[in-house]
Amino acid sequence: MPDNPRTSKKYNKARKHSQVYFRAKKSKPVVTVLISTYNRPRYFAEALESIVRQDYRNLQIIAANDGGEDVINIVNSYDDPRLLFINRKENRGLPYTLNEALAQAQGKYICYLGDDDLFYPNHVSTLVNALENQTDYQVAYSDLYKVYCKVCPDGSRKALSKVVEISRDFDRFFMLYYNHVLHVSLMHRRDLLEKTGLYNEKVNVLIDWDMTRRLVFFSDFYHVPKITGEFYQPAGKCDRISILGRKNEREYAKNILRIRTTRPPKPWTKIKDMSIFFITEKINKQAGATLGSIWQRTFYPYEVYLPLSAENFEKLDTEMPNIIPVPVNPSSSKDQRIDAALTQCKGEYITIVPSGYPMREFWVEDSLHALINSSVHNEGFELEDSTDKLWSVLLKKEDLLYARRSFPNLPVRESLKAAGITIRRIEPEEIPFQFDQLLEKAKEAEKNGNWSRAVEMFAYMEKHHQNELWMKSLAAKASYMAGAHTRAFNLSQELNRQRPTVDTLLLEAKIKRSQKDFDSAIILLEKAEQILEGNQLLWT
Amino acid sequence: MDIKQNNVEEQHDSTQHYEVLQELGDCYTSIGNYSQAQRYYEKAAVLSPDEAGPYVGLGVVALQQNLLDDAEIAFRVACRLNKNCAKAYSGFAMIAQQRADYKQAFEMYLKSLELDTDNLVAILGLFQASCQMGSFAKVIYYLEMYLNMHPGDTSVMFPLAALYMKDGQLEESKNILLNLLVLDENHKDAANLLEEVEHSLVQTKQII
Repeated sequence: MPDNPRTSKKYNKARKHSQVYFRAKKSKPVVTVLISTYNRPRYFAEALESIVRQDYRNLQIIAANDGGEDVINIVNSYDDPRLLFINRKENRGLPYTLNEALAQAQGKYICYLGDDDLFYPNHVSTLVNALENQTDYQVAYSDLYKVYCKVCPDGSRKALSKVVEISRDFDRFFMLYYNHVLHVSLMHRRDLLEKTGLYNEKVNVLIDWDMTRRLVFFSDFYHVPKITGEFYQPAGKCDRISILGRKNEREYAKNILRIRTTRPPKPWTKIKDMSIFFITEKINKQAGATLGSIWQRTFYPYEVYLPLSAENFEKLDTEMPNIIPVPVNPSSSKDQRIDAALTQCKGEYITIVPSGYPMREFWVEDSLHALINSSVHNEGFELEDSTDKLWSVLLKKEDLLYARRSFPNLPVRESLKAAGITIRRIEPEEIPFQFDQLLEKAKEAEKNGNWSRAVEMFAYMEKHHQNELWMKSLAAKASYMAGAHTRAFNLSQELNRQRPTVDTLLLEAKIKRSQKDFDSAIILLEKAEQILEGNQLLWT
Repeated sequence: MDIKQNNVEEQHDSTQHYEVLQELGDCYTSIGNYSQAQRYYEKAAVLSPDEAGPYVGLGVVALQQNLLDDAEIAFRVACRLNKNCAKAYSGFAMIAQQRADYKQAFEMYLKSLELDTDNLVAILGLFQASCQMGSFAKVIYYLEMYLNMHPGDTSVMFPLAALYMKDGQLEESKNILLNLLVLDENHKDAANLLEEVEHSLVQTKQII
């Protein structure tokens, strides 16, 4: 029978040791670095080494073997009081292992490393500095190289390319929809976990997004556009959870739904809740289908309020979470049902949607994005597919309350009008994810060889949608391909002064070479080569 | 935009490291540091064993050091990896030229240009080999084609003007030389040739 890792003598001794160590070090905040490993001893050794050699020394390092191949010799090769080892014999999965490690965490801040990824020596110090200086933020993240590599027969990895694929400024709305922050690049305050809760052990893919999504309820994320580490993507077969987990589409979709419907305990400091009033007289096939679509297609945090008679709740047979029954008289009118839900609802935003309303992706988020960003008072939005028969509206709770209190005898629509609440439809420029749509179009232009168009689009996005470095890098490459070498040169030179990457170094070097300035080209190329070989940034 | 898409087969840039090594090899070759150039080409060959590029580079390095047998082996490997490797055929041509086998050089340059009409080394090589052999017809065709793609390339304008003159196409030669001198007014060879062409034109007119 395997030892209980939490009661073994060795474990307790190590824990006591580290507690004494951390009491002694008070000058700089302690950072706990968690690394879980499963059957990748070779890469784990490199990953662990990259933690131990951080230039920020005040660390608590918790390494956990999730029941995989023995790595005790690797851990024992470090006589480092900062290192705590959880050596579990059974495989329980990443969320369980992270929770187990978090139970021992003592740092003010937490960060994570995958067992096949690497931190550069400045990773922890970069993020600690960001969080200590930006006190409004409790979460920070940096950029990472995605290393596309080939695995040699001896298991060593040879980099084929190192690319900063994403360098996106924090976008809360997007984070609710999907993840744009790599977990390895993330650092957060430990006390945030008291609000978010621990890792969800029922989630088996997108484990990181499940946590980062919950973090956005409580903090903005500070983006440090420095490259502070690497994550690996081997050519051919890949054993990353994020890749393997997507292969089972049904299971993947189930995980997404689970994550999207997770609501951390209130109060939420950064997100306003949305209450959906689902208006139907009875639960029938159509109502069931509309409810199911709400579940499938809503990514903004919500609860569905169901103002129905008691016998209808008995008919309600769904696994759908976040449903709040609101008992009403069977003969209640539509307006009475809305009023009943209004007395109970806790959301700051309210959507009224009837059974049979056609649900499409972003059915409510398009208008919600406009409402969140609207500076106009007393304004709500009629949803895009709303008709007189299937009238559907999104507005602030305070506005609906005001209208109903002021004009209780009028129908809801009339009462809003009477109360001076303007209900309008969104304008095209108000829809969310415009940056992503533009990016998609620019990439398509690149694919079709329309490089000049792509350059224009990247320049526009840089001006209007933040993400300066990212857009400049894309514009530099596209300019080169479009034959606009002067522009490509200026952009890549500017980027290389600010934050050189292999791509921008290579680009500037190519242009220098075409100008027959071989010495300058060589300097740039050798810098790129050092990054690709991992010589320069990692251990010097 | 749908995150539920089963998007596991992402496109990856797998050539970046190879490209850096090749560029390094080429730059070191350009400044005459052949040992460094060789080092980087060899690294590129290990990283991307199916690419012909590093062997072309190694061949050029050997050629520059007059190691003709080594160069030939390298170009052969390049051809084996990519039977349409225009640069390797240019390499064979240069070796033949060094060995004073102008016929072979001419054929190899032609082969190279059939595969890549945009190959300046082959065009200029073909010009040289033609001069050595005294046969110009095919060269004019390739130089014209190249110049259509790269208008204003003075390195091709001059040989083409010279060939036009040898071929008796004096007006064509004069036009190209005038254009060349607009682009590079200090091109002494062009100025001298223009003088010669204008003289021939006057003589021709007098005969008529």
